[in-house]
Amino acid sequence: MKDIVRQKLSINVEIMDMLNKQIEKEAVSSSAYLAMASWCDHNGLENSAAFFYEQSSEEREHMLKIFKFINDNGGTAYAPEVKSVMHEFNSLEEIFEAALDQEIEITQSIHSLVQKCRKLNDFTTEYFLQWFVNEQMEEEQLMRRVLELFDLMRDEPLKYIDERIPGLREE
Amino acid sequence: MNTLFKAHNFTSYQCDSSRAFHIDFDHKLIKLSFCQLLAFREQIKNIDLETHFSGRNKHGIEILVLCNRSHIFIFDTFECIALKDLMEGTFAMLELNSLLTAGV
Ligand SMILES: [Fe+2]
Ligand SMILES: [Fe+2]
Repeated sequence: MKDIVRQKLSINVEIMDMLNKQIEKEAVSSSAYLAMASWCDHNGLENSAAFFYEQSSEEREHMLKIFKFINDNGGTAYAPEVKSVMHEFNSLEEIFEAALDQEIEITQSIHSLVQKCRKLNDFTTEYFLQWFVNEQMEEEQLMRRVLELFDLMRDEPLKYIDERIPGLREE
Repeated sequence: MNTLFKAHNFTSYQCDSSRAFHIDFDHKLIKLSFCQLLAFREQIKNIDLETHFSGRNKHGIEILVLCNRSHIFIFDTFECIALKDLMEGTFAMLELNSLLTAGV
């Protein structure tokens, strides 16, 4: 019997399912960042708002990257459904902590995808995911730098912390 | 045509010459491209059987539209369970075939 699946699809079916789940996670992240941007906007924290708008569009790009990868390789990518996004926060610090937690979750999810690729010998997807492994490392580092800022400037007005946010991305 | 898997009254086949798949629904045989088979699998996967038993799905039926809307099916709970088996079995067989082909 011919391997028609392999003729049509260059990635593993199980991996494809996991990639579709990852699409959903990136979409959820994108929405979550948008909610954070909105909170910052309402609280007069312009730079933090800009930071989260940028994060939100980056997450959308990640989503599209995976989306394209699935379709280009003969699979079917599914448009994600996003529900119940958190809009209530206590403080800017809490928001950045939530952002770090979210990034850590995404990192873990990417890592388990890589693990699965190795198990199933899907080298194509593993290679594709290398970019994400690196991206996640940078994202986590960025969020940690912001949280360090809160530790250093605990007694300063929030406005000053907000002013330092754009500089952190360039570092 | 090679038989891939049989579950209840449903059978899936692979046709090497047309590079396509077929599903026999007992009363109707439909041809699917691999892409359409993937789409069908996704629809089956998304059926939440729980709703059939909790009463949230009052009539216990699922309506599926397949292959760019050229077919419409109505399945009851029992058939939905069989379809889930069919898809799992079919893809397990395809996976096995891939392993065997790659091994030769
Ligand atoms: Fe991301
Ligand atoms: Fe991210």
